[in-house]
Amino acid sequence: MKPTVRLRRKSDPRQTEQRETDHRETDRRKSTPTLLTAGLCLSLALAAGCAKSEDDPSGAEDTGKDTNAGQEVAQPSGDQKMCDLKTFGGKELDLKGATVGFSQSEKEANPFRIAETASIKAEAKERGIKLLTANAQSQFSKQISDVQDLISKGADVLVIAPLNSDGWGPVLRTAAQKKIPIVTIDRKINATACKDYVSFIGSDFVEQGRRAADRMIEATGGKGEVAILLGAPGNNVTTERTKGFKDRIAEKAPDLKVVFEQTGEFAREKGQQVTEQLIQSKPGITGIYAENDEMGLGAVNALKGAGKKPGEVQIVTIDGTRNAVQGIVDGWIHGVVESNPRFGPLAFQTLDSFTKGEEVGQDIVIKDTEYTEANAKTELGKAY
Amino acid sequence: MTQLALRDLRWDRARTMRLLQEYGVYAGVLALVLANIVLTPNFVSAENFRTQAVQVAPVLIVALGMALAIGSEGVDLSVGSVMALSTSLVALYLGYGPAVAILVAVAGGMVVGLANGSLIAFIGVQPIVATLALMVACRGLANVFLPQLKDVRDPTMASLGSGSVLGIPYLVLIAVALALLVAFLVRRTTFGRQLLAIGDSRPAAQLAGLPVRRVLIIVYVVSGALAAIAGVLATARLTASDPTSLGNLMELSAITAVVVGGTPLSGGRVRIGGTVAGAALIQLLTATLIKHDLPPSWTQIAQAVVIIAAVYAARERGRR
Amino acid sequence: MSEPVLAVRGVTKRFPGALALDGVDFAAYPGKVHALIGENGAGKSTLIKVLTGVHRADEGQVVHLGEPVTFGTPLEAQHAGISTIYQEVNLVPLMSVARNLFLGREPRNRFGLIDFRRMHRAADEALRDLGVRVDVTRALRTLGVGAQQMVALARAVQVDARVVVMDEPTSSLEPREVRTLFGVIRMLRDRGIAVIYVSHRLEELYEVCDTVTVLRDGKLVHTGPIAELDRLRLVSLMLGRAMGEVRSEGLTKFSGDHDAGGEPVLSARGLRIRHTLHDVSLTIRPGEVVGLGGLLGSGRSETAKAVAGALATDAGEVLVAGAPVRTGSTPAAIRAGISLLPEDRKAEGIVPGLSVRENIALAALPSLSRFGLVDEERVDRIVGTFMKRLRIKASGPHQKVGELSGGNQQKVLLARWLAMQPKVLLLDEPTRGIDVGAKAEVQKLIDELAEDGLGVLLISSDMEELIEGSDRVVVLKDGAVVAELAGDEVTEDRLLAAIAAHPVDVEGSQR
Repeated sequence: MKPTVRLRRKSDPRQTEQRETDHRETDRRKSTPTLLTAGLCLSLALAAGCAKSEDDPSGAEDTGKDTNAGQEVAQPSGDQKMCDLKTFGGKELDLKGATVGFSQSEKEANPFRIAETASIKAEAKERGIKLLTANAQSQFSKQISDVQDLISKGADVLVIAPLNSDGWGPVLRTAAQKKIPIVTIDRKINATACKDYVSFIGSDFVEQGRRAADRMIEATGGKGEVAILLGAPGNNVTTERTKGFKDRIAEKAPDLKVVFEQTGEFAREKGQQVTEQLIQSKPGITGIYAENDEMGLGAVNALKGAGKKPGEVQIVTIDGTRNAVQGIVDGWIHGVVESNPRFGPLAFQTLDSFTKGEEVGQDIVIKDTEYTEANAKTELGKAY
Repeated sequence: MTQLALRDLRWDRARTMRLLQEYGVYAGVLALVLANIVLTPNFVSAENFRTQAVQVAPVLIVALGMALAIGSEGVDLSVGSVMALSTSLVALYLGYGPAVAILVAVAGGMVVGLANGSLIAFIGVQPIVATLALMVACRGLANVFLPQLKDVRDPTMASLGSGSVLGIPYLVLIAVALALLVAFLVRRTTFGRQLLAIGDSRPAAQLAGLPVRRVLIIVYVVSGALAAIAGVLATARLTASDPTSLGNLMELSAITAVVVGGTPLSGGRVRIGGTVAGAALIQLLTATLIKHDLPPSWTQIAQAVVIIAAVYAARERGRR
Repeated sequence: MSEPVLAVRGVTKRFPGALALDGVDFAAYPGKVHALIGENGAGKSTLIKVLTGVHRADEGQVVHLGEPVTFGTPLEAQHAGISTIYQEVNLVPLMSVARNLFLGREPRNRFGLIDFRRMHRAADEALRDLGVRVDVTRALRTLGVGAQQMVALARAVQVDARVVVMDEPTSSLEPREVRTLFGVIRMLRDRGIAVIYVSHRLEELYEVCDTVTVLRDGKLVHTGPIAELDRLRLVSLMLGRAMGEVRSEGLTKFSGDHDAGGEPVLSARGLRIRHTLHDVSLTIRPGEVVGLGGLLGSGRSETAKAVAGALATDAGEVLVAGAPVRTGSTPAAIRAGISLLPEDRKAEGIVPGLSVRENIALAALPSLSRFGLVDEERVDRIVGTFMKRLRIKASGPHQKVGELSGGNQQKVLLARWLAMQPKVLLLDEPTRGIDVGAKAEVQKLIDELAEDGLGVLLISSDMEELIEGSDRVVVLKDGAVVAELAGDEVTEDRLLAAIAAHPVDVEGSQR
């Protein structure tokens, strides 16, 4: 984009006029793209300015508010490894007056990340804590420098949503020297808990898979053929959600056969395309397990396009976005296993206890709820 | 005598390569269809062919523009991002009705094409660099306009995505019409002739007084417009606007379709029929592997093999 | 006589729609310079390509040192000691001279890396042997064409060639460089190397060659010592015409003077380009052929390009029939009626992948179109007319121009411009690299066009062509006009005198 920038500077009309006398030809040639580039920026800026998008009938009220308190610890913290200040080696501080740094991994473009960031922000506001935020835009190197930035800007504690599990060594060392407590959320870091960081708060993806299997067994009566829309290949979420699902099916419903496994890359469009192929080649399919809501919604699109009726093919998905829960209400989706993104309360509560000198768990698994026909309508507001 | 025989063999090989390059892609499509008829259950059904055609339509439309860019000895990497920009503009402007929204989206694509073309034609930035810059910029812009997926509920858009005439989906009709239009543009118009000459030998075209800049700008504007149309159609089909993932890696699919279709990357030639077949070949290949539930990595490997075969055939020609 | 190093027996080569070689025998002997001549399409290039492994013969044998061989690739031929120097130097322009000399066989140091010091020294010596002094670390493309050719030659000599094939090596050389080249050829001959020499310049053949083989229409017409053949007989063999006819037509096809009168159709005044042109002015009247004389690098091509708008000027104006033309814009110049046949036909003239038809119609397309749609019938008509009028030899209008011989490519370019009905034709080396027959045809065409009232600017390194063809000659040196010869003054002596009037300072790159 360098040339564009340079040209935009040149597009000052007075400058162009001055030069016109001796270098008319060259300038004429150069000022044309200048104008074009300037025009591009202008028109695109305008595009956003006078936009008027479709009314949203579902009423998109703020997702972060009254539902923010909905995160609970799944297991009692007694039967697992604990961590406190003495072991970690820091000193007590009052979280109220502290600065919390939050490093988000991906840009807030999907409901999960949006709800996650919103939850952290809302909780910080509620507790009146100063929050510094950074977003790595899916670049790991940026996340590392983000965290370094947060530390140098004076963060006393850190909440990190890691993009990768590996490669955190140098940053953790910097933090350890300053005795900065770190809580990682939604993904784990490959490091020693209570030494390099304090706790990990997240979902159990294998468990999510198992619960999805339960829903599928319930929907199909434990018989028939099911297809799996896999997530992005090489992602631990994909592997764990697949493992939980398959294990539980094998264990509880041997008559339910997994006959099709193709990746939908966690995207609605890809989920739709794959499902279209699926229902062509295997018209007798009874159920589709989508490893996230977006692919599940793509599958719904495909079924609609093929003239199927709601309930003809049972769909179970994981995540708990509003659209998917609406899908239950509409009868297209049988069940949604939630993957709770609202880490704010639990993360701050953990840090609060820890900095006061209390013990906290090293692995805190949050409780994920489920949406079914029974609660979808009433709980729709809770979905993110 | 063995020498003579050997010579015949080699001659035959050269001829085979030429034929392969010219018609290989059609033979490939035919072979895949035949194999599927034998091997894949429920393959022979109108519904199935409709599905394949609908899925390939956006790729094909983008590939048409890409073929023009490649024919001019350039490339347009920004097409995927233009699709994203287009889908975000559709969502933003749907409040004014679908017609306005589509017009704004296509206009947006043309503006991006204009920027691409200007950078290339006036400033002399290499196409790969210029369009890469716009690719990054447009994806960012699309995400600023529409930070997250938004459902599209407009009934006109929905019927554009899933409706049909006489059993032929609108999407397919539009793609076919655009393919015919671009083929006409290349074969019958002054612009098409000039485009080929510029792609084949830029200095000669310049000295022959051809409007090189204008032609290049039009090429990228058309490519941008086609990508935007593909974005609109993909939005209609998905009944959602998803600027984060829509059009991801689309530029590679389009380049693959064009190259597999026999359009040389060195410019000077545009094969629209081949491009259509190239897109169809890749689509069928993917469909076959998915239908037989083979691991996704196989699809990538199969695509790679097809690309290598196409490039190999092209190389034979280049050597003469 | 000793055994031939390289020979072909009864070689036949067919291309789609053409018989390029028809049972040809040819033999190159060590220590002999063997001239290979013939008109366009006679089969010289094809024969060379068969000899050097580019093409494979359909019938017949290639015999190397008495053994029948099949070269699969040019590389195999190279390994067998056959080096080729093509008309267009095919080296890597961006690499240094030394890298080019040693490409693929660079001296290595003990780490397996290129030993640049050794390479540069060896390259310097190799070139000095040939009487060429250049900085071997410079990129090849910064050298003049002549110097580049010497590098190619040095490379051929370096690889211990037994046979060196030269395809029109002198076409872009200055006289001084030609002398050097001939010295090198004699040196090669004395070392027992067989040289196959292709050229259209008859004087050169007599000066440097021992034997001559004449091809016509893919068939062998004559082989024998060149001393036994006089020039006229040689020409008649090539053209396949009776002696008297040739004699009566002279050596060029120009008729001589034209009636040039009236207001200038083109006047260029005070053209300036930094480092290149210094205040060049010239005028051309309708029906006049104005020659542009001078040595390589004197600014002839640049003048033509500046007039045609292909080079931006710092100062100066161009008027066509009294009306000013915007400089630095090819379309503007073309609209005003100026047409340029560029020197580098292959890179800047033809569009090789397009057909004869599309090439001819290329510039005139807008006028052959309605609402942006090409009027195919009108294109066919125009193409048909010009293919007939210029006697363009092709398998049809749809043959790719890249497949035509040089002469026919040049005619296609002429047709392209004539279809624009220009007022002024700028011809930069219109007959370079094309054979005698096509040359004569092109010369005759130029004559006819001038008679039809066109203003013609003729640039040619061929003295004879320049003198016989031009009514007036403007002599350039170092980017400035140094003399203008008109009428009886247009003689070889006067021209040489004009060029030699001041001490000639050849550009550094040529040294």
